[in-house]
Amino acid sequence: MIFSLISIELSKIFRKWRTYIGFLAIAILVPIIQIAMLVEGEKSINFMTRNLQQSFIFVGNLLNGYLISYAILNALVVHIPFLITLVAGDLLAGEATAGTYRILVTRPVSRFKIVFSKFLGGFIYTNLLVLFLAVMSLGIGLLVFGVGELIVIKNVNILILSRTDVFWRFILAYGFATLSMTVVLALAFLFSSLVENAIGPIVSTMAIIIVFVIISALDIEFFQSIRPYLFTNYMQSWRSLFDDPIDIQDIIKSALVLISHVIFFFGATVFIFNKKDILS
Amino acid sequence: MKNLNEIIILVITLTTITFPQTNDPDAILKKVLDSFNKVQDYEVNVNIKVDVDFLKVPDTEAKIYFKQPDKVHFESETFALLPREGFDFSPSALLKKKYTAFYVRQDTLDNIITSVVKVIPLGETDEVILSTLWIDKSQNVIRKMESTTKTNGTFAIELKYDLTNLNYPLPSMMIFSFNIDKTNIPMGFSGDLSTRSGKKKKDNKPTTAGKVYVSYSNYKVNIGIPDIFFESKKK
Repeated sequence: MIFSLISIELSKIFRKWRTYIGFLAIAILVPIIQIAMLVEGEKSINFMTRNLQQSFIFVGNLLNGYLISYAILNALVVHIPFLITLVAGDLLAGEATAGTYRILVTRPVSRFKIVFSKFLGGFIYTNLLVLFLAVMSLGIGLLVFGVGELIVIKNVNILILSRTDVFWRFILAYGFATLSMTVVLALAFLFSSLVENAIGPIVSTMAIIIVFVIISALDIEFFQSIRPYLFTNYMQSWRSLFDDPIDIQDIIKSALVLISHVIFFFGATVFIFNKKDILS
Repeated sequence: MKNLNEIIILVITLTTITFPQTNDPDAILKKVLDSFNKVQDYEVNVNIKVDVDFLKVPDTEAKIYFKQPDKVHFESETFALLPREGFDFSPSALLKKKYTAFYVRQDTLDNIITSVVKVIPLGETDEVILSTLWIDKSQNVIRKMESTTKTNGTFAIELKYDLTNLNYPLPSMMIFSFNIDKTNIPMGFSGDLSTRSGKKKKDNKPTTAGKVYVSYSNYKVNIGIPDIFFESKKK
């Protein structure tokens, strides 16, 4: 039963053109970044490492598929939430907009199963979007730029990771990025259960993420006490996977915080939807 | 910079007049050069280990090709950081240009008696303005070198030899020590822009000391590497 519900939800998701905006955006943006790197990447690396190059000669290829993928992941992880909310915000509110809410809940399926199948449909979309990002940036990046050591600049430290020590970090990083995006999905899904138009959940979710990201990014003493309570603070923890040694405790803690947010947002959605008076 | 060279020469000249030298620096350096000239070319495997507090780099396996007097080619399948000054160090490269040398004193280095000789390059375009050499007169090899450069501060090279297994004056290990500017490392496109950890910089010193350890193994000496090899690699 649940599988057929999920497949129905997936067919609904992939029948809407907005679902493809995310894939299209990634398909356009990633090659643009890759072309820019092909043209200007060497210059950027020289600029990044100009101090180091006063003392060292660099031998080898630092402009490689791993560096490009790392840069893309850094840049897009902040923007991908918008692409997630486009679909997630429409999952429940879209039914209200289309006037199909009442038909949906009169079917012999529990409300929990409806919410659960919709959420899983959104979760599959989120996974596919991150997978598409991984294939576009890492797959094409490695094909075009080749394999090499990954240079990571963090605060005042420079870390160069061996080429044999990078791929598994990317797999885990994309996995963590998926978890982060699932929080966004769950939040937009929660807002979607409250309203009857998808615009509200999309804008509200993005507004929350933008405000939280700005508070997290500002290095002001006042915000330091607030930061641990912002889920966006933990969404960037995939970066710790590119440390040496990796702070596993920190990553597990961040993953648990994000999972608990997903459970809370999803639980709240189920609660609201169960109590909801369907009028449309 | 010319004035600085003149001051250094004057100070060392006065010192050597006050404490008359008992060793001829040119003769000492010539013996080192003659000994090194037994090596026409070589190919050697190297392991490079970088030790700088803000920099973490995996150890690199590479190959160095050398041909007299100063042709050097470096080959590595992986990324490598090489000390800008000193990686291509050889006595012939150091002493091929015009210089003035002064014997300073005798010193003991790792229980080896060495002669300390200061070498001042006379060319105005040279990056190095002063080098101090610790020369092992019994083996005619340089055990240590400290150089002051115009733009990159001071660096030191310690050379260790395994002369029982190798009949040529080629090092088995080179330790390159230097100071590196750690300020203004920019947040590049792969930089961590987050302040989540709230970690502050550990200290605000603008420079930090660093070391590069180069271990040499499997020397192939005088194998007749053609000049064209270095030219083709340059391209």
